[in-house]
Amino acid sequence: MTQSEEYEKLSFEEAMIELESVVSKLDSGEGTLDESISLFQKGVILSKLCSSRLEEIEKKVMILTDNGNDAKKEVAFGDDSTTPGEKE
Amino acid sequence: MSAVFSVSELNHYAGEVLAADPVLSAVRVQGEVSGFKKYPSGHLYFSLKDKESQVNCVAFRGNAAHFSFVPENGMSVVITARASLYDRDGRFQLVVYEMEKDGVGDLFAAFEKLKVKLEAEGLFDVSRKKAIPKLPQRIGVVTSPKGAVIQDIIHVLSRRFPNFNLLIYPSAVQGSTAASEIKKGVEWFNKTELVDVIIVARGGGSVEDLWCFNDEALARSIYQSHIPLISAVGHETDFTICDFVSDLRAPTPSAAAELVMPEKSELLYAIHAKTDRLTRALLHSVAVRKNRLMFLSRSKALLSPLRRVEAESQRLDLLSLKLTHSLNRRVDSAARRIGKDIASLDALSPLKVLSRGYSLATNPMTGTCITSVTQITPGQPVQIQLADGLVDCKAEKTQPGRIL
Repeated sequence: MTQSEEYEKLSFEEAMIELESVVSKLDSGEGTLDESISLFQKGVILSKLCSSRLEEIEKKVMILTDNGNDAKKEVAFGDDSTTPGEKE
Repeated sequence: MSAVFSVSELNHYAGEVLAADPVLSAVRVQGEVSGFKKYPSGHLYFSLKDKESQVNCVAFRGNAAHFSFVPENGMSVVITARASLYDRDGRFQLVVYEMEKDGVGDLFAAFEKLKVKLEAEGLFDVSRKKAIPKLPQRIGVVTSPKGAVIQDIIHVLSRRFPNFNLLIYPSAVQGSTAASEIKKGVEWFNKTELVDVIIVARGGGSVEDLWCFNDEALARSIYQSHIPLISAVGHETDFTICDFVSDLRAPTPSAAAELVMPEKSELLYAIHAKTDRLTRALLHSVAVRKNRLMFLSRSKALLSPLRRVEAESQRLDLLSLKLTHSLNRRVDSAARRIGKDIASLDALSPLKVLSRGYSLATNPMTGTCITSVTQITPGQPVQIQLADGLVDCKAEKTQPGRIL
């Protein structure tokens, strides 16, 4: 499994924590130049991942309606059909 | 015959009797409000009734202003009042000083009792509280789909994070079915796992309105929820059992929206700041190494091959100079010694002896010095060395033992 494939599984929160740890390690200035460069590359992947996680959330406002037999169905909220009658 | 009163006198007298009565001057009466009217003056007029009777009540503005709620028809209340007779039409009435909702005291007692019980069971333990996700992929809300609360939540979410994802479980939030509907909502979200955080929300209202959020079964289902749950009920000053048992209490529904969803711009800034630090750290790391390299490249250690040759050749020069000096010194001293030796050699030389009149006899055949007469046979040649030349002679005879 490559580094990016491994990171693909991280949530936004996990990726942010990982990014912070990579930055701190790189900040410490320890290790060889090769290690520093590999940390930097990790950091760039994580940073891109964090940004893309923010865009992955789909803008949606749904409301559940009864669909018989205790089942529920999602419909878009805000249509007249979902907020019948008076508005308080 | 008794005295005859005027109507005014009668009403006035009856009024005084009522005012003087120790019970009627400060009486507490429980009943249901009806015929409620608020006059522009600020005075409140209504009747208090039970199944059989009713009594007129008035609350003057000065007292009415201190009531904790506005009475409504049908509301069961307990008033503190004095009895009086309205002179003009001889009507018996109660002048109300204080009013409280009937049963409120009981409600508070029940609330406290349930709170103590659940707290003792550990339902409010901080250690059991789940963390609210930093970036919820989908938010579940159990609330009324009507009214301002859901609109406020949607508004705040849109402002903070335009592409938010919300799923509403519509529920009554007051009345007899509210607690069980809200509980079903919490359980439905836990069963379907469609959301990663739940908000239970309701706007402000009276203690009775919010009472469903003090339901024990609802509290337990919130405690059981494996999805983090935020309670956002009423105003900042309202506390319900749901608030205590939830993972996070938001003072209002709008505040819940603020708490549940981060500001997208702030997150982007945080990512940017970290990326920036990353780049600077790498550049710094490279710069540090570059400096170190420059420092090392100027150091003697790295220049050693050339430096050593130079140093060695200098040493060589020095050594050879020393060597030359010492050789010269040796040669000089040797020469001086040789001169001295030659001088003493000269003093010892046989030639010097010869020059003093001595001579040296040798056998010309062998070249050996003749130091004894026994070495000579008569008739043999003898060579005499004098200081200034040789004389070839022939031995005539030998005379051993004779000296001059």
